[in-house]
Amino acid sequence: MDHAAGPAATPPPAEIFRPRPARRAPPSTLGVQGWIRQNMFSSVPNALVTVIGIWIVYAFFDALFGWAIGNAVWQAESRRECLDEVGRAGACWPGVIAWIPNLIYGLYPKDQVWRINLAGLVLLLWAVPLWLPRVQSKVQIGLSLVLLFPLFASYLFLGGEKGIVWSALIALGLAAFLWTLLTAATETVFGLGIARFAVAALGFASRSDETRRRLAIAVLLAVYVVAVILVQALSLPFVPTRVWGGLFLTLVISGIGIAFSLPAGIVLALGRRSRMPLISLLSTTFIELFRSVPLITILFMFNTMLPLFLPVGVEVNQLLRAIVAVCLFSAAYMAEVVRGGLQAIPRGQYEAASAMGLGFWQATGLVIMPQALKIMIPTIVGNFIGLFKDTTLVSIVGLFDLLSMSRAVGEDTRWLGLFLEPFFFVTMIYFVVCFGMSQYSLNLEQRLSAGERR
Amino acid sequence: MALLESTAPSSAGTRLLAFVNNATVRAVFYQALTLSCVVLLFWYLISNTIENMSQRGMSAGFDFLGVSAGFGIGFTLIPYREGDTYLRVFMVGIANTMLVAVVAIVISTVLGLIVGLARLSNNWVIRNVARWYIEILRNTPLLLQIIAWYFGVFTLLPRPRESLGWLDAVFLNNRGLYLPAPLVGSGFAVALVALLLGIAGAVAWARYARREREQAGRIRPVLGPVLALLVVPPVLAALAVGSPLAWDMPQLRGFNFVGGINIPPSFCALIIALSIYTSCFIGENVRSGIQSVSRGQTEAARALGVPPGRTMRSIILPQALRVIIPPLISQYLNVTKNSSLAIAIGFPDLVSVWMHTSLNQSGRAIPIVAMTMGFYCVVSLAVSLAMNRYNRSILIKER
Repeated sequence: MDHAAGPAATPPPAEIFRPRPARRAPPSTLGVQGWIRQNMFSSVPNALVTVIGIWIVYAFFDALFGWAIGNAVWQAESRRECLDEVGRAGACWPGVIAWIPNLIYGLYPKDQVWRINLAGLVLLLWAVPLWLPRVQSKVQIGLSLVLLFPLFASYLFLGGEKGIVWSALIALGLAAFLWTLLTAATETVFGLGIARFAVAALGFASRSDETRRRLAIAVLLAVYVVAVILVQALSLPFVPTRVWGGLFLTLVISGIGIAFSLPAGIVLALGRRSRMPLISLLSTTFIELFRSVPLITILFMFNTMLPLFLPVGVEVNQLLRAIVAVCLFSAAYMAEVVRGGLQAIPRGQYEAASAMGLGFWQATGLVIMPQALKIMIPTIVGNFIGLFKDTTLVSIVGLFDLLSMSRAVGEDTRWLGLFLEPFFFVTMIYFVVCFGMSQYSLNLEQRLSAGERR
Repeated sequence: MALLESTAPSSAGTRLLAFVNNATVRAVFYQALTLSCVVLLFWYLISNTIENMSQRGMSAGFDFLGVSAGFGIGFTLIPYREGDTYLRVFMVGIANTMLVAVVAIVISTVLGLIVGLARLSNNWVIRNVARWYIEILRNTPLLLQIIAWYFGVFTLLPRPRESLGWLDAVFLNNRGLYLPAPLVGSGFAVALVALLLGIAGAVAWARYARREREQAGRIRPVLGPVLALLVVPPVLAALAVGSPLAWDMPQLRGFNFVGGINIPPSFCALIIALSIYTSCFIGENVRSGIQSVSRGQTEAARALGVPPGRTMRSIILPQALRVIIPPLISQYLNVTKNSSLAIAIGFPDLVSVWMHTSLNQSGRAIPIVAMTMGFYCVVSLAVSLAMNRYNRSILIKER
């Protein structure tokens, strides 16, 4: 500008265009270095937080490993020996190791423990076909597992005298187990259930439908007869529920609670949504009453009131009282979960089902429930986890579950005052079970919603 | 229906069929059936109970409430002496339960907010520390945590003579936590008046700032002036007239401490375990609430030039609260219910002193169970009524 006003005789020296030096490229966000920079050191305060965070994590794990492994004692006869060796700086594991059988089986007689193990094995074998891809009768196997396994297991656990009715029921459980194994085997190999496979194998495949149906029933009856004979041969000494305990008792209570709560919750939720005012009122009252009070009050109530509710002279053992309380409590919670799932189903589904001529039960069972249950999986599993954790409360009403057993270690004269180590061990058990369940439910949810993802 | 019946040739059989298949008739039938089952069940239970009670010489009346209970209670919020009535025991239990619930709710909300925000941090380390904090603590039973804190930490603390001290005012040992107790001093009234004036000033300023913002669009600072108004006047008054509060310090005499406030170890263990356990659930609520606000809101705020802190405070949080508050309240109810686990470590809450000790002493099972359950029912009914009203008030107003 200044030049323009000046004399035009000498043109100003041409200005050489000099680009400003390029700004430095922003730090790379690719690769390991870039990721670390973005996620841990993006700014000065962030870097500071990272350093402090890493230091806390390091200090925590250092202390934990030092206590649980580094300074721990693995061989000792009593807590005194541990204390003499390392004091409080290290864990005293021999006490926990010596108590592991009690932590798992409670005071169940040592020579009878195989019965619990056998029941566990049966449960495992019964459940495995549910994960085999070629097995088709998964619904029947699952239902029989929930409904009939308890019949068989109850005799294994309890033993003692079995009358005719109980024998027949135990045999039914065993027969269902045999049927599951055989069906899973034949379906995996030949693609046919055991009954149809037997009919085909015996050379009756070309007979009329009626004959084949009768033969199939005969095969099932034969399985039942085998089961009856096996049950008759099996005679187990009586083990009172008083000595049941440890992880075994925890699994029994939560298993029964889980198996009972889902069907009962479905019934209650349907009742609450029913258009019949009386049924809706009764269901709502039950659900709200049991949900608004703590589980411990329900346990206490059944502990003191159940003997009063039943006819004079009827004895109800402590375990049964706790199980009734846990079942009713978890049914009320499950009912609300199911109701949430039902509410998420659009009205059009109900209307379409009625338009197709389906009645209430058909529409609910074939159209609404399958969709609702799929949505509810995470919440249902969350409830199961809650129930599993809540079974620790039975220790307050005098049952020897896993938690009471872990407290008993520190009251043993040899291991007096040993609390932290058994608590740590038991915490690990609970964590592994609950965390495993929650991760599995996430996985299941993702697989089931595969069709809706884009 | 009437039209069909008049035109169709109807015999007695088809009319019967129509009657049986009629939805209203069926509904009445099913309800009558259910009602009679329920009535029969209750009649059975009640008649058994009456017979059992008469055999054992038990009574169901509430007359025992006026009788002296005759046992001591280790920790009471409201005054209680051995020899007070059962009704008083019930009150003591309710007060203790409410105390635990309120303290645990406050601590767990603060912790939960921190954990929930940490879960969303840009920083990988913080995000994962928060995640595993939540995973580990919410996947282990609360009762186990309470018992572990009590037996694993508080009973293993040193004896009073070797207690852990801080500034010679706070002491921690196996008899609990000792804090200085405030006593009303000479200048208390002046300081109190100053504090009240400060509060009034703070409220007035906040209202003024809000009106300015809503009507004139001018943004006035709020947090700084309000804090100053709350803190400065009482401090000045205290400096002017001398100490408004005297402190009763805990002191070691012989084998134990005298003076100050003693908080029993069972209370400490219960509060710590409850707060930490609940903070995991609250943290997850906070996280899901914030994540439920669409990203477009943040981007729109950035595009309009709203700074990040203000975006969080004025745009994201108000919308997230809509999602966060209902589950948060149900967590508060859970805290109240979970405080009943106090019985496992001998803290005298409602269930412990009333449903356990009083029931065993008096044998009045029915009234005691009914009163305990009644208390919890009233609390949760009141909260859910308030909740429904709140939910209606924050519903998004749609066209």
